[in-house]
Amino acid sequence: MNSFLGRRLLTAVPVLVLVLLMIFTLARNLPGDPAVALLGPDASEQQISALRSQLQLDQPLYVQFGAYLGRLAHGDLGMSLKTGQPVLTEIARRLPATLELTVLATLLALLVGIPMGMVAAMRVDSLLDQALRVLSLAGVSMPAFVLALMLQTLFSIHLGWLPISGRTSPYYITEPVTGLATLDFLLAGQPAAAWDACLHLLMPTLVLGSFLAAVVARYVRNSLLEALGEPFVRTARAKGLGEWRVVGVHALRNALLPAITVIGLHFADMLGGAILTETVFAWPGVGRFMLDAIHNRDYPVLQGTTLVFALLYMLVSLLVDLLYGVADPRLRHRGH
Amino acid sequence: MRRLALFLALLCLASCQAPDDKAQLQTLVIAVPSDPVGLDPATNKAEPVGSEVILNLFDTLLAWAPPAFDHLEGRLASQWALSADGRQLSLTLRPGVRFQDGTALDAQAVQQSLNRAARLNPFLAASFRAIQRIEVTGPLTLRIDLAEPMPTFAALLAQPQAAIVKVAGLRPGQQPSGTGAFRLRRYSPDNELILERNDDYFRGPARLQRLVYRVIPDASTRRLELRYGGVDVSPPISQLATIPTDDIQAFAEDHKVQVVQARSQIIRQLDFNNDNPDSPVHDLRVRQAMAWAVDYDGLVNGILGGVVERVYGPLPTASWAFDPAMQATAFHHDPAKARQLLAEAGYPPSRLKLTLYGFQGAMWTSVATFLQANFAEVGIDVRIEQSEFSLLRARHVAGHFDIALDGRQPWYNDPDAHITQGYLSSLARSAMTFRMPPDPALDGLIVQARSVADASLRKQLYSQLQQRLMARVPAVYLFSNNLILFKRPQVQGLALNSAPPLVEYWSVYKEGPAP
Repeated sequence: MNSFLGRRLLTAVPVLVLVLLMIFTLARNLPGDPAVALLGPDASEQQISALRSQLQLDQPLYVQFGAYLGRLAHGDLGMSLKTGQPVLTEIARRLPATLELTVLATLLALLVGIPMGMVAAMRVDSLLDQALRVLSLAGVSMPAFVLALMLQTLFSIHLGWLPISGRTSPYYITEPVTGLATLDFLLAGQPAAAWDACLHLLMPTLVLGSFLAAVVARYVRNSLLEALGEPFVRTARAKGLGEWRVVGVHALRNALLPAITVIGLHFADMLGGAILTETVFAWPGVGRFMLDAIHNRDYPVLQGTTLVFALLYMLVSLLVDLLYGVADPRLRHRGH
Repeated sequence: MRRLALFLALLCLASCQAPDDKAQLQTLVIAVPSDPVGLDPATNKAEPVGSEVILNLFDTLLAWAPPAFDHLEGRLASQWALSADGRQLSLTLRPGVRFQDGTALDAQAVQQSLNRAARLNPFLAASFRAIQRIEVTGPLTLRIDLAEPMPTFAALLAQPQAAIVKVAGLRPGQQPSGTGAFRLRRYSPDNELILERNDDYFRGPARLQRLVYRVIPDASTRRLELRYGGVDVSPPISQLATIPTDDIQAFAEDHKVQVVQARSQIIRQLDFNNDNPDSPVHDLRVRQAMAWAVDYDGLVNGILGGVVERVYGPLPTASWAFDPAMQATAFHHDPAKARQLLAEAGYPPSRLKLTLYGFQGAMWTSVATFLQANFAEVGIDVRIEQSEFSLLRARHVAGHFDIALDGRQPWYNDPDAHITQGYLSSLARSAMTFRMPPDPALDGLIVQARSVADASLRKQLYSQLQQRLMARVPAVYLFSNNLILFKRPQVQGLALNSAPPLVEYWSVYKEGPAP
C-alpha cells in the first residue's frame, strides 16, 4: 500500500509542474493587460504603466515564472493582483462554501441515484423503469441555470418557502469558525440562523446534485443489469437468499465499481466547475473566484486556483483508487 | 406523507423564528454585482463597489452637496480657500471629529493620510504628484502647496481615494480606521459585507443600524431578490457598461419596486482615429458626414428606450461647464448632407468600407448595429467587430482602428476630467484619449482652462473649447447614460451623485412594513 501511495505521489509532481507551466503560458497569452483590467475604463497610460511596474508585469516571462516557482517552493501562491491579499488566504476563505455545497450535492446524488438505479434494474423495462430513465435523462440534459430558475420560481416566488439566493439571511451574523455556515451558527448557539443557512443550501444542492444523481442512476442501472446476469448472482439466488439481499449486497458491490470512478471525477469537477450554480444562487465558492480571475487577468489567482484544483483532482482520483480496493479485494491484493 | 408533514412543520418553525420587523427596518440590504476591491482609500482605483463602501466608512475633506451635487461643501473641513494663483489650498478642519477608534482628527492626521494616499495609490499618482508639500499650520489648519495652478484639486479631495484614514499605528495590510457614518463589521468575500452604524459620528448617528452589501453577480437573480424583498436597493454600480432597460420595463408597472433616475457625466461616443493620416476618417468631411448620418433621436428614444440623454459635444449636459449653445449647433440626422460630404471627399456610395470596433454586451451590440444601419443609409459599409474590454483598450492605445465605440466616465467631478485626458495632444498615445494631433493653440487653451482659479473665467474657456473641438469633429458624440437606482418603496432619503455615481447611506432610512 505504501509503495502504491509513494508511486502515485511521485507521478503527481511532474503532472503539477506541467499544469503550472501550461496555465502560466496560457494566462499570459490571453489578450488584454491585467493593469488595464484592474484600473478600469478611465485610467490614463501613466496610471497603467505605474501599476504594471508595481505588479512586476514589465519583467520578462521567464523571470516571472522563475520567481513564481521560487515562491511556490516556500508554499507561497503569491498575492491576488485584484485584492492584494495572499492567494492561499483567498482560496481558503471560499473553499468551505464550495465544500459545503459539493459534499452535500454528492451525498444527495448517492442517496437518490443509487436507489433509482437499483429499482430501475430490478424492474427492468417496467413502467417504473421507463419513468426513472426519463427522469435521469432529464437530469443529465437539463442545464443548471434552467433548473435553478424553475426551482426559484416554484419554491421562492410561488410558494415562498426558500430564499432566492445567498448563503444566509443578511439579518443573521456570526463570526466564521469552520467556514461552514450551518455549523458556525450552531456553534454560536443560533439554531434559527443555522436552519436559515440550511434553507439557503437546499436549492443549490438540488441543482448541483441532480446532474450527478442522474448520472449515478444510469451507471448503477446498467452495471447492475450486467452483474445480475453473472454466475455468482445465480449462486446467491440458488442459496435461497432474498432478492434485496442478492441485489443490495452481492450484485451492487460489483456494480458500484464503475460508478465510484464517475462519482469521484464528478465530485472533483464540481469543486471548481459549479460556476453556473454559484453564480445564479450568489454562492461564494471557488468556481466564481476563478472565473473573476480570468476576467481580471489575475494571474496569481488563476495559477493558484488551477494548482489547488489539480491537487484536489489528484487526491480524489487517489481516493477513488483506494475505494476500488475496498470494493474489490482482488484489486487490493494485486496492488500489494 | 409523514416526512412531508415534518418538513412543512420545520419550515413553519423557521418562519416563526424569522428576524423581527425592527431588525429588518434597521437593516438596508444593497445588491452589488461584485466584491469591493479593497476597502482602503489608498488602494482604491475608482472601482465602484469599493469606492461606495469607502464613502460610507470614511469621510473626505470636501464633498459634493446633495441633491444636485453641483457644488462642493465642507465635510471634515469646515472652511477651505484656494489662493488667487491656484497654487495653495488652505483648509480648516471641524473641531470635535473623532476616528472610529476614538482618537481625535487633527491637521497632522490629515497630512499623514494625504501623503500616504499620494505614495501608495497609483490611481492618484498623476494628480497628487502636483502636491509640493502639505504644511500643518495649526492643530486644525493645514495648507497644501501645489507645483502648478490646479483649481481642480478641491474636486479631487472629494474623491473616495482621498478619504481620510488614521495612519498612526497602522500596520501593513491592516484595514485603516476612518471617521465615517458606518464601521466595518464583517467581510465575507464574494458573499456579503456588513457595516454597523457609528454611534459617535460627528454629523449624528445614521438612521439605519446596519448596511449589508450582498454580492449577487447574476442580473436576473438581483432582479428577483429586489422584487421579492431579498434586497432593498440595487444601486447604479453595475450600469457603467450596461443599461438595465429590461429591468426598467419590468418594474415600470410594479408597485413593489421604484426606479430612481439621475443624469450622469458618462459619455458614449464613436471615436475616430485622429492620429492616423492614412485613415479615411482623417478627412474632416468624412467625419462630418458620419456625424450627420446618425439618427440621434432614434438611438436615444428608440434603441435605448429613453433612459439616456443626447450628448451634444465634449461635455455632457450634466457638467457645470456645459455650454447650452452646443445644442443649437449640434449635428442631427441629415443623410442627404452626409452623402454630399462623402461625395466631395471622393467616396461615392459603397466605396468607403470601415470596421467598427466595440465592446461586448447587449447595449454595445444594439448601438453598433444601429450605427451600422445609419451608415449604410449614406453608403458606408461597416463591419462590426466586438471584443472584450482589455483587448479593445489595447487596440485603442495602439491606434489600430479607424472608428470604435467607446465611453468616458470621469473619475472626478470636473470638466477637466473629460477635456485634458481626452484632447491634450501630449496624451494622444495613451488610453482614454481622442488621439488628437499636436495643436499648440488648442493645447494651450486646455492647459489654461484647467489652471485658472476664477470659476466664471474657467466656464468661458470651456465654452470656447467645446466650440473649437466640435469644429474638428474628433468623435460622434452619442449619449449619456442616466444613472438608475432600483429600490423598495419603503427606502427613503436616497440621493444619487452624478460623478462619481456612488451613494452615501447616512441619511437613508426605511419606513413602515415591507409591502
